[in-house]
Amino acid sequence: MVQIVIRGSVDGCSPPQWLLVELQGEMVSRHNSGLAGNVMGDLLYTKEGVPVLIVGHHILYGKLVKLEKPFAIPMETDHQGLTSTSYTVSALIKQKLIFKTRPKPIITNVPKKV
Amino acid sequence: MKITLEEVQATLQIAKLNEEDLNPTIHCLSFGENVSSADYCLMELDDTLCKHIEAGQSLVIRGDKDERAVLCSCDKTYDLRIANTSNLLLFVPGCKTPDQLPITQDRACVVHAEIWGFCNSYWEPRKQRPKLKKLKKLLMENPYAGVPLAGQEESKENRYTMQDLLERIQASEEEIKNHLVTIHACQIDGCWCGLDFDYEMKLLSHVTQLVDSESWSFNKVPLQTSLEELAPLEPREMIEHCLNCYGRRYTDKGEVFYALHEDKVCRGLALMLLQNAVKFNLKEFQEVWQQSVPEGMSTRLEQLKGVVLVDRASSPETISLLKVEDLPEDTLERFNLLFTLREKWTEEDITTYIQDLCGEKQTTGALLTKFARSSLQNGIKVFNSRRPVAT
Repeated sequence: MVQIVIRGSVDGCSPPQWLLVELQGEMVSRHNSGLAGNVMGDLLYTKEGVPVLIVGHHILYGKLVKLEKPFAIPMETDHQGLTSTSYTVSALIKQKLIFKTRPKPIITNVPKKV
Repeated sequence: MKITLEEVQATLQIAKLNEEDLNPTIHCLSFGENVSSADYCLMELDDTLCKHIEAGQSLVIRGDKDERAVLCSCDKTYDLRIANTSNLLLFVPGCKTPDQLPITQDRACVVHAEIWGFCNSYWEPRKQRPKLKKLKKLLMENPYAGVPLAGQEESKENRYTMQDLLERIQASEEEIKNHLVTIHACQIDGCWCGLDFDYEMKLLSHVTQLVDSESWSFNKVPLQTSLEELAPLEPREMIEHCLNCYGRRYTDKGEVFYALHEDKVCRGLALMLLQNAVKFNLKEFQEVWQQSVPEGMSTRLEQLKGVVLVDRASSPETISLLKVEDLPEDTLERFNLLFTLREKWTEEDITTYIQDLCGEKQTTGALLTKFARSSLQNGIKVFNSRRPVAT
């Protein structure tokens, strides 16, 4: 039987907290060059704390939500010669920014009336 | 390519967002160089698991090639499933929430945050009853049955250390330890093994007969004297093990005593009587049973819930052995077997034999609705199989 250990942390401290951003749909890079290394967009907050995301020429309004059940991100630990697989929780996610509303297009070129 | 503040402000202008309405910190999100969805996985945690992880404790995934994987904390077992979502989940380490940002800040500033990874599925652990039937099976491969006869050597094969058990049983360590106590397993030379039933009954008989012959109260059985009296018959460790299984240890004025547990002793002796008979006449059984227990103890049929089946429909009424722990762990198989043994069950009788199948927040009523059909017989609600069962 296989036993895979998922360690809480290497040094006994609580893992760092990351943020989750949840989007509806797919993310595709503009020139089909893959996502790695590319800019995704800008995230801002209004003074009331509403998150706003600008991706390409879309603008999305979202919400900050506390997760009912947090997520852990286990990542494979450096083996250094050990035969058994083990993972360490690199981070915990307790909150997310969820963008559920339909993206609004940003009109950049408004033809001027002549 | 890092975006500058000017570029971001230009974007805001085009988007017709007023800088005055916004928090001055702007996160510029980009994908990390090594990002890909395959490398990372998310695991949902309930409150207990989350606290475990935050305290730096570990979890273990256990499973054989042909088994479903389970996740174990030190004392609980969870079924692991993958949940999919149509949404895209991005994880961003360096991103702050509004309450973490300074409220007042004169100038706008850009914070670069890298998206570490993304996915649209995650592991979802669900609490479940641990799979412990295998534990008894393993420990009964080579149970201890007393000192071997002269000339014969005791076989040490198929005896397992705690580590061995953790590698074979899909349950948490604590659940395994508790079950070892429940099934009266004993540890010999660091390895766990079961106790042969006839031998266990022999030990119990020695103890109960000694209590009677010495006229001790069954609540105050002295350890030292018991060991001395019974040492010629059985190893001391085994006598003490028997007392631990059937009694509660305590100290009185520096001396160690055991208070024998009435229900456990009565149940043990009942099992001994029923072991070799298919069916027993209920009335005769009850008489013999009461005579076999130590002075002062009372036998009651309630003590045998989950280990015997009483047939009040037959004439004369009979009683036979049926232990829950011997029944299949799989729900459908369990119901099929129960209906093979008896066509119609009252709710009270069948509940005893399906209680342990209930998952968290599941009731026996729900199981009965799903796996059985109810009807009225002589004004009493009875349950039978949903499908024709070969008897």
